[in-house]
Parts: sequence; structure tokens; C-alpha cells
Amino acid sequence: MSSVEFQLNGQPVAIEADPSMPLLWALRENLRMTGTKFGCGMGLCGACTVHVDGVATRSCTLPLQGVAGRSVTTIEGLDPEHPLFAAWVEHKVPQCGYCQSGQVMAAAALLAENPSPDRQQVRNALSGNLCRCGTYNRIQNAVLGAAEVGHWEPGAEEEQA
Amino acid sequence: MKLSRRQFIRNVSLAGGALTLGFHLTGCSDGPLVVGEPEDFRPNAFLRIDPEGAITLQIPKAEMGQGVVTGMVTLVAEELEVSPQRIDWEMAPVHSAFADPEMQLQITGGSASIRVFYDVLRQVGASARETLVAAAMQQSGLPRQSLEVSDGEVVASNGSYRATYAQLVPLASSLPVVEEVALKTADQFRWIGRYDERVDARVKSDGSARFGIDAAPPDALVAVLLRCPWFDGSVEGFEAEAARSMPGVVDIFATDYGVAVVAEGYWYARQAAAKVEVRFTGPEGELRDSEAISSAMQAALDADDFASIREDESSREAGGKLLRARYELPLLAHAPMEPLNATCRLRDGHCEIWVGSQAPDIARDAASRQLGIPRESVRVYNQYLGGGFGRRAAADNVAEVAAIAQHVQRPVQLVWSREDDIQHDHYRPPFAGELQARVHPDGVVSHWRHRLVGPSINQFMMPELAKAMLPQWVPGGARQLIGTVVASEDFASVEGADSLPYQFDGIHVEYHNLPIPVPLGYWRSVGHSHTAFVVESFVDELAHAAGEDPLAFRRRHLPEDSRERRVMEAVARAAGWGEAAPGRYQGLAVHASFQSYVAEVVEVSLQDGKPRIEHVYCAIDCGQVINPQIVKDQMEGGIAFALSAALSGEITLKGGAVQQSNFHDYGMLRHTDMPDVTVVLVDSDAPPTGVGEPGTPPAAPALANALFAATGQRQRRLPLQLG
Repeated sequence: MSSVEFQLNGQPVAIEADPSMPLLWALRENLRMTGTKFGCGMGLCGACTVHVDGVATRSCTLPLQGVAGRSVTTIEGLDPEHPLFAAWVEHKVPQCGYCQSGQVMAAAALLAENPSPDRQQVRNALSGNLCRCGTYNRIQNAVLGAAEVGHWEPGAEEEQA
Repeated sequence: MKLSRRQFIRNVSLAGGALTLGFHLTGCSDGPLVVGEPEDFRPNAFLRIDPEGAITLQIPKAEMGQGVVTGMVTLVAEELEVSPQRIDWEMAPVHSAFADPEMQLQITGGSASIRVFYDVLRQVGASARETLVAAAMQQSGLPRQSLEVSDGEVVASNGSYRATYAQLVPLASSLPVVEEVALKTADQFRWIGRYDERVDARVKSDGSARFGIDAAPPDALVAVLLRCPWFDGSVEGFEAEAARSMPGVVDIFATDYGVAVVAEGYWYARQAAAKVEVRFTGPEGELRDSEAISSAMQAALDADDFASIREDESSREAGGKLLRARYELPLLAHAPMEPLNATCRLRDGHCEIWVGSQAPDIARDAASRQLGIPRESVRVYNQYLGGGFGRRAAADNVAEVAAIAQHVQRPVQLVWSREDDIQHDHYRPPFAGELQARVHPDGVVSHWRHRLVGPSINQFMMPELAKAMLPQWVPGGARQLIGTVVASEDFASVEGADSLPYQFDGIHVEYHNLPIPVPLGYWRSVGHSHTAFVVESFVDELAHAAGEDPLAFRRRHLPEDSRERRVMEAVARAAGWGEAAPGRYQGLAVHASFQSYVAEVVEVSLQDGKPRIEHVYCAIDCGQVINPQIVKDQMEGGIAFALSAALSGEITLKGGAVQQSNFHDYGMLRHTDMPDVTVVLVDSDAPPTGVGEPGTPPAAPALANALFAATGQRQRRLPLQLG
């Protein structure tokens, strides 16, 4: 056990844990932030996607020590006014909803890098985010819809990153 | 065919057809139901309105993505004359007031929720409304016909009186509930068929929705379980010396279900579990490998030992062109995105369970039996389900966590890994089928014979369901007996084959039960998931043998006024059947399941000889639509689920153990694979029927038929090969 310090959603945190423990479990169990989901434990499904220094990253295979001194954003830290949320509701994206925080985080990272992607770019960027309910087309529509809104300010934590 | 026997099975699983209204707060076999506060207006078990006007609905079904909460809220809102947005909701506790009126269990399955609660929940809303109006009549002294109800207010037509529901709650609570109410007709609907929001969309977008895996109390330990890789082994012994001293480890011990490793967190438990060596008994017996199961199914098709399911004799002698073909489908896993989990807390002889379950009463029964305490001492807090697809109707996770909690005597959450999920599912059974029919020069098809070989799901599942359904004072042995199913007459094995809608001259359907040592379960669309593929592929074969267009052939053999025919014509129009662009190839399938009718056209292209699914067109007749967007959702999702299985779904066994383990070898469609989907809702005056499952069955055969159109190769085995 040791202490790992990093920025989480714009705030400094220190977590006492085995530094080889994946970030996912530190978020879910040590911090009780359950928006980031466990799906496969092998980086195969994307349900655990967070941003590390603004880059979409699988938290289920990223050791805690790998984020020491870095900036992590989870679904809880995304600006509630982020157009992706409104787009997700408008396009009635979620069915069971379990994969959607990962989908949103992957999409947010894409839009931060490419504010006006085409559909194929959305598909490619999100191809590692699985959805068993088959909401893919609605997700793509929502991302393209949010991109059209455009020009939103990044969240505070993203600016720091 | 022994009709009475077969009927009995249906009655065990669907138990009568009586409509219970749930107009009772007390007096049920489960004792009093306590929800809300004494000052609330509580006209029935489902609904309460507090003195501030907050309306809360108890949801008697599980929300696993199929939109049942939105649908049920809409039904109540319609008659209560409020916007669906105004109704809060809770997952109902386990109570007989919330049992499915047909199945007598609080189970979500069979695409039944809206169909069976359509009248009930509208009556719930209407009865509450009229009781509030009765209070307004007393307050205002006005007769009923002078009062109107709109947006949660009762208003005098002449403007002389106005009261909100909140203002009427105190008086309404003291009045007898008005139970004789007339329901609106379809032309009066304001929300049903029009409301197209989803009430849970925001919380399921921003990470705040709470699933079973998120619901453990903060002081809960985390357990993982080392299960026997084959399905009939038990723990013979284990070595955990090294693991016990690893960080965070609390306890390691054997249970009936495997060796439990309990720790301060999932990572610690999983790390320690990797250091535990377990010896299991077995495996024993036969049919341990997929090849052996396949050979046994083929041998059964060669033999002549079948139970007759349907026997419509042909009026013709033999003749015409005889076609015969064999099909085969593999075991399938459900693989919901949320791995199974459950949390258990024991206090003072009582048990609390946090879980996302399709059947919280089966979960309650599993905990009660595991712990040896009465059902009434178990409370189940049902959460959002991160996918169900049939998997979460079983309660193996709940029995497991109860056993673990009993041992450690601390609150504990059991979390399955994805490997646990893939390797310890209740699988869709493998099936083999042989079809034959005669195509005559005059266009008649005769001597249709469909033989199915595969294991019976209900023979496996029904004893569990029966235990949960019957009163606890019925002795265990009797409960087991009542749940025993005559497998040869298991409707779940032959549904969709026995109800062949085509007007062929002579239809025989026969079934041979082939038990395998694998847990079986209900996989989205159950029997239809395999029968539709076989039947609709072979119908396509017959069309080509007759030299006819597959649409024209089906048109000629389906009754003109049938609902199959209507959806087929609708999808043909939407897809531009017969007018596909150059390089595009279409396949068609039509199939009824769960009382809804669906036709689909899959359109593929060939790129360098490799087929790609470009577009799927779908038409559904599900009777009265409640929420158009959710119906489309469910068609899109059902199609994606079916295509995932058709393209890559296959569970194989070696030495009794499942060989697949995670999403790299049990895959599903990705963003980059998903075709465009167009859904047409066919207008219908019929009452609402299912949408969760009916989109799934036609997709695989429509795809196989499109591949035949593209390549000339008939693929009769799933998963299909895309070149």
C-alpha cells in the first residue's frame, strides 16, 4: 500500500492503495464514484473509459501508479452542460445504459480533438466501446448532433489537462 | 400428442390468464405492503400521491433497457391526466400485488410487461383520478359532469372551482377508492402512442444511474468465486496458503458453489484468487465436447425417436420435388455489459439483497432457501439492470452471495468477472434441425416436416421457477415435482416451429430432447432464436427451388389477411424489394413471436468478394404502440443482438468447460459493423404486444438469405461465415 496523488475532475486526490491496482477500482471502491463501469477487465469493451490528460483511456487496465501526477476526468467530472448529454437525451440513446458513460467519455475525447467529425470518424473513434443493446446508430447520431452545436467551452478540468 | 399434458406445462409457466388489479394494500399472501407515508393518497398498491402532489409509481417489472419504466409511467399518466414527466417511480419490492398476472411471478420476460399491464396500469391511473374527482365533488358540491380533469387539476367547467391533486390528497385519502372506471379509447389518447421521450435517458447518460454493481453499502466487502470449470463438479479441496497473506484479503473458504475469496476490494480479491489452487470433482459422463454434442444431435436426426408436436396431414400423395436440408446452431452466451453481481447484508435474522434481477421473487426465494430463513425475512432492492436478455431471470448469483455472507457475517458484494460470465452462463441451447418438403409444379408445397433436436430449457429452469412460485409450506419435493417438465413437450424448444404460418399442404413438427450437462436459460426470443433461422432459411430454399422470388413465394403461401403478410408487405415497400442498387443483395424473413409480427430485409454488399451488412429494414406490428421511439429502439437492439450471434456467436465446450472467456473470443457487433436500420411501425388496432424480443428472430435468416442472394452459397450453420 502506498499513496498515489493525482488530479481528479479538477481536484487533487491522494489514494492509499496497492499502486498496481487499476484506476477503475480506485474510482469505484476507494472513492465511491461508480459512473465508470466494469465490463471486461481487459480493455476490450470501453465501459471503463476515462480521460487521462484529455486522452480517452481504459481505466480497468491502467495501474493507479500510472496516473500519479496526471489529470484524470471521469463521467462525473464532465461539464453537466456538455452538449453530449443533451444530445444523448434528444436522440434517446440509452437502453440499459451500462456502457453509456464510457461511450460519452470516448465521444467527448473525440470532439475535444476533432470538433466536427464525420460519421466514419465517429465510428472509428468509438469502435472499442461495445454496446450489447445495439445503440450504436443513435450514439453516432448524438455525437454528430452535439458536434453541430459546437463551440462549447471545455470543462475546467480539461483546461488544466 | 398429449394435449392435456402440454397444456399443463403452459399453465405452470403462464399460470392462468386472470387479471389481478392489484387494488389492495393488504390481505395478500405476502402480508401488508408498506410504501409511502400514512398521509399519502394510496388508492392501490402501485400508486401514491403525497400532500405536496408528488406522484410515485411502483414499477412491477425490471428495467433492463427495454424501456418498461417509460412505458408504464406513460400508461398511468394517460389516465391520471398528467404528463409522464410528472410521475416519479420506484422499483417495486417483492410482493404478490406486483406479480405478473399471467405468470404469477414477479418476473420480466416473454416480452410480456406492457401486454399484461396495459389494462391494469390504465385502471390504476383512472381509479386514482376518479377518486380525486370524488373528493373535488365533495369539496365543490358540483356533480361529476361539471368537473374536468387536466394536467393534475380538477376544474369546474364554468371556472367556479379549481383544485390541484395535492390539495385533494387529504380528502381523497379518506374516501372509498372508485374502482368502476371507463378507460379512454385510442382516439382519446394524449400520451400513449405519442410520448417518445425516455424517462431514464439522462441518468443513463451521465453515469448517475445506479446498477446492481453500484448499489452495495459502503461497508461491504467484495467477494469473487472460483467455480468449477465444468458444470457438475464440486470443490474437493483447495490450497490458499499464499493467498491468505496477500493485501486486503479477509477470508478464503469453500462453498457449495466454489471457493470464495473475500477481500477489502475487487482487485485484492481477484489477485488473491489467482494464487488459490482448487481441486474439483469430475468431470464425468458424456457430451463434454461440442463435437460430441453435434454428433449426438446429428445421430438423433438420423434416428426415428421423435415426439409429435404438430400433425397436419397432407391431402397429396408424394410427388413434386423433394427438398431436404439440415441446420445447426451453437450454444450462446448472453454477455450483458454489466457482469453479474449481488450484495447481501445479514442482520438479526433478516437478509437484504441488492441486485439487478429480472425476477426479484426468484432472487428472494434463492436467498431464503440458501439461508434457511422465511421469504418474508428477505428484502430485495432491485436496481437498474446493465442488460438482461434472459440471463438475469436466474438467481445463481444471489444464492452464491447469500452463502458467502453467511460465512463471513459481514455485508458482502459478489462480483463476477467477464470470464465468470462467459463461462458460467445459463446458455441458449444448441439445436439441430432437419427440414423437408415437396414443391409441386402447380405451386403447392406439401409434406413439410420439421424435426428438431436439442435440450429442453424448461426441463432445466422450471423446477427453480416453481420453487419460487409456490407457497413455502409446500414441501420441497412436491415443489420440485410440480416444476418437472416433460421435456418432449417443452414449448420453449419448438415455439416458432409449431406455429408455422404458411398454408402448406401437410405440416409435421417433431422434437427430440437431447439433455446436455450445461446450464440452460432464456436467451432473447428463446425458442424463436433458433426456429426462425431454420424455418425462414428453408422457406427461402423452397422459393428458389420453385423458381420464385422469395417475397412472391411467401405472399402466395401466407394467408392474405394475416398480420405476417402485412408486415412483410410493409418491409418490402420500405426496402424497395427487388430494386436493390447494383452490387447490393437482399434477403427477407418474417416471423411472429410473443404475439408481435416482424418482417426484416437485410441488404448486403460484396467488397472484394467479402459480404458487408449495409442496411436492415424492419416492419413490426405490435398492436397499439405506447412509445414509438422505444419500439424502434428495441427493433434496432434486437437486430444488433441477432446479428452479433449470427456473425460471431458461438460457445464451445472442451472437457465440459467453456472455451471462450471474454470479448476477444465471444464478440459482438461494434460501431464499425453496425448497419443502418430503418424501422416501420405498422398501424394496428390490436392491444399492445411485445417488442423486447420479436425484433431478434428474423435477422439471422434474413442475413443468411441475403448472403445466398449475393454468393449463391446456402449457409445452414450458425455463426455464418462472411468469406
